[in-house]
Amino acid sequence: MIWKDKYLIGVPLIDEQHQELFRRVTDFVEVLRSRDEWEQKVDKVNETLEFMKVYVVTHFEDEEAYQREIGYPDLEKHKEIHNNMIQYVVNVAEAYEQEGFKEDLMQRFAGKLLAWLINHVAASDQKIADFANRKDVSGNDE
Amino acid sequence: MTNKMLAPFSNATREVFKLMLDLDVVTETPEVIDTIVGPNDKLNISIKVVGDLSGEIFYRFPKETTLEMVKIMSGMEFDQIDDFVTSAMGEIANIISGNALIGLSEQEVTCDILPPQIIVGENGADTQEGNILSTTVRTQIGDVDLDIILHSSVDK
Ligand SMILES: [Fe+2]
Ligand SMILES: [Fe+2]
Repeated sequence: MIWKDKYLIGVPLIDEQHQELFRRVTDFVEVLRSRDEWEQKVDKVNETLEFMKVYVVTHFEDEEAYQREIGYPDLEKHKEIHNNMIQYVVNVAEAYEQEGFKEDLMQRFAGKLLAWLINHVAASDQKIADFANRKDVSGNDE
Repeated sequence: MTNKMLAPFSNATREVFKLMLDLDVVTETPEVIDTIVGPNDKLNISIKVVGDLSGEIFYRFPKETTLEMVKIMSGMEFDQIDDFVTSAMGEIANIISGNALIGLSEQEVTCDILPPQIIVGENGADTQEGNILSTTVRTQIGDVDLDIILHSSVDK
């Protein structure tokens, strides 16, 4: 797994979800990159894709709720980034189904998803933690 | 105007390489050149810019550098530039360019970017002519070329 502790933001729920996302993306990429024939891995790929479609939305909602709770000033901008990603995932999943579950689209999807996730968690989500620290609020004590 | 245009892109490259890949970079002093002769054997990623400035940014990654970067991100070995690799690298170019636009907006320059175009291998990149601001970003896993062709669309 490609998780790094520098990605922690100090809010247990969000940190656990990020770690789960990294675990799932790693699994997804591992299956996708294995040397097996596409027919042998397509079921596992589809299963992971279905899981991520749901999990990403859950995580984004929880993260936005936390931002609202601490009065994060860039909530709307952050939400827009989340919504664009959800839209991208939905579009890819649709195209993937329509064209009959082909491998090259999934390869492109996984490459972009991996880079997007690393940057989003390391840069954009980290700004939430920076704000919380400056404001000296903690997500731990509710 | 020219160096002011480059700085947001080279700063964004440095920050993104550090944040996403844990790579430290040294950026060469930029040069203004008239022609870049294509094709080459690198992974060429072009991002079109529209708005107050219009033009195109080229990121050129050597093959070994590309494969190493994807390895850093995924923890897995890659031996060729395939769909997964070009898509991951396209997203990196997209992230760098997006961050650079935030830098430009601090200079009151408002632009947008289009999705990355990827040109790889023998088909290579087209020859480019014009006022090209060119620099090399040196890293321990290889040198990335950054070529910027941007013109002001408004009189400032
Ligand atoms: Fe997040
Ligand atoms: Fe987020």
